Amino acid sequence: MSTTAVSPAATAHESPSTGPSLAGWVARGVVYAALAWVVLMFVPGTKNYVDVAAEAAIYGIVGLSLNILIGYTGQLSLGHQGFYGAGAFAAAYAGTVHGVPFALTFVIALLFGAFVALLLGLVALRISGLYLALITLVFGLTLEGSLFEVSEFTNGGAGQPASRPEWLFESDSFYYFCLAFLAAALYIDWRLVRTKAGRALLALKENERVAEAFGINVTLYKLLAFMLSGAMAGVAGALFAYAIGNVTGNDYNFFLALTFVLMTVVGGLGSRVGVVLGGVLFASLDFWIDDVEVIHNAVNTVFRTPNMQQYAANFIGAAGLLLTLIFNPGGIAQQLSPLTRWLSGKPFSLHGDKDSGPGAVEGSSARA
Amino acid sequence: VLLAFDVGNDLVTPVVSGAIQGCIYGLLGLGLVLLYKGNRIFNFAQAEFGTAAALTVFACQSGSKFLPVMPVGLAIICGLLVGTGMALATERLVVRPLFRQPKVTLVVATAGVALLAIAVEGFFAGPQPTPVQPLKQGAQEWGSLRITYQEMIIVAVLAVLALATVLFFKYTATGTAILAVSQEPTATSLVGISVNRISALTWGMAGFLGAVGGILFAGASGTIFPGYMTAFALIPAFTAAVFGGITSLPGAFVGGVTIGVLQQLAGTNIPSGVIPSVSAVVVFGVLLLVLLVRPAGLLGKEV
Repeated sequence: MSTTAVSPAATAHESPSTGPSLAGWVARGVVYAALAWVVLMFVPGTKNYVDVAAEAAIYGIVGLSLNILIGYTGQLSLGHQGFYGAGAFAAAYAGTVHGVPFALTFVIALLFGAFVALLLGLVALRISGLYLALITLVFGLTLEGSLFEVSEFTNGGAGQPASRPEWLFESDSFYYFCLAFLAAALYIDWRLVRTKAGRALLALKENERVAEAFGINVTLYKLLAFMLSGAMAGVAGALFAYAIGNVTGNDYNFFLALTFVLMTVVGGLGSRVGVVLGGVLFASLDFWIDDVEVIHNAVNTVFRTPNMQQYAANFIGAAGLLLTLIFNPGGIAQQLSPLTRWLSGKPFSLHGDKDSGPGAVEGSSARA
Repeated sequence: VLLAFDVGNDLVTPVVSGAIQGCIYGLLGLGLVLLYKGNRIFNFAQAEFGTAAALTVFACQSGSKFLPVMPVGLAIICGLLVGTGMALATERLVVRPLFRQPKVTLVVATAGVALLAIAVEGFFAGPQPTPVQPLKQGAQEWGSLRITYQEMIIVAVLAVLALATVLFFKYTATGTAILAVSQEPTATSLVGISVNRISALTWGMAGFLGAVGGILFAGASGTIFPGYMTAFALIPAFTAAVFGGITSLPGAFVGGVTIGVLQQLAGTNIPSGVIPSVSAVVVFGVLLLVLLVRPAGLLGKEV
């Protein structure tokens, strides 16, 4: 956080229009280098916790996936565990039962996630708003109760094993592997927002009829949003399957779907950085509470009894969601926006910039 | 003739027990319809009002360090107060500040309330299932058909509450005011009706209905734990409300009974080897069908 103190000095004597000075770029470079060091060097060094970090990266991908539906297109999905689980089961089933090569299982997970999402998307063409939220909810529950319980997939209820190839056995190599997927997802998301498709999705969120009047093919782009989101969630599910090594239906329940929505909203709908951070936060919530001494003690002084400690993470997550919605609709992204704006080369300012054009969409509204 | 008689008997039991279970769905659905009429939202916390109430009843009956052991009647009153109070707190602390936000934001917020409620229930009760006694032990038997007294209480309570809510909306000024607020809040406040008070009233009534449903459901199923009602009754209740037309009070009742019966029939007639958790799939099928074919539901007038 010391970097924020440096920044005003570095940017004080430059006019906003010309971009940062050399010193400004150096200061930003230092921050980027520090971030890169933490993500690429420090985290893999913490041998015990790199598994948590891998899961955090996976949740980051899920956050991006959900953001496409809720944040950009404005379709609430309460059944995202369906896509995620579909990817996990598809990858594990194809790899273990049919001996499909490792790399190909990701393609299968992607296609299967996209296919399941397409089915839901077809329903979403006719139903919107609150009813759609209800449908997605029940859709996820149905997948959970039917497909994820079929004994062919679950190895007779014992869980479908999913084993990583030898070069990914080590936790830190798997972490880098997940990071690569997260980077790819971030890239896709960045390209999406900058292209016609992304603008079409944003238009759908604002007003479908107006969007249609401007010549946007509502059907096409809605289905595209669902498929893209489903594909991303499917791949994330496959990664998760390989992370834990065994796929059972219980891991993909309704509360997981709620956690996904929570983390995306708390992270900040519409903001790429925000939803990834939200995912990282929620994936590692148990780690912070259980394994970081200071936080562990603080939590245990507030939550005294064993019962309370068991539900502490749930409580913090749910309270975080409500507080975010009521007091801070932009989520983590809104809180961090001075920093992220500065990092992207704009002057440091604690107040939001009104003139940032299309970028103002990011993190500015909790509309869904 | 003998064969036909056998089949008939096989049908009666699931239909009756399904209908009774459906009454609970109807009761929760009634609360959902009420809130939809009042606020135009879906309340995902509706079932958790019931869990909280049922857990309170159990805690009051068994007593603890801080709580004297109470008789059943007093315990039930405490449970109803907790359920209603929770709904009122939700209205004041969550719904009102977010009222001008898009409705989907509000819905996410109610899901957050449900999760928060589950965590707080867990603080007190822990995750393990708690055995619950029915309000009245014993059963009445007619041939192979067996109906417990608890189930009779459920049907009676639902009938009374459903009738009361229908009459309330039909014949009282407050009922009309609730409908007015749902249709045009600004105009309603211009004619001197307090939108906030009406909103609180609606939520209080919904919380009360949820609490009644939770207490009865826990008594009938014999167990309760944090998140119990959300896991087992929320989705069927939503389906019931949508099936009956989300704005129709009798519709929620009819929908609830229909869903309950369909669930039981599917559960007893389709072997679970074919489709695991048949009842969930049935609920999804009904919901999807209604929304695609007739979004206004069975008795609804508008969408």
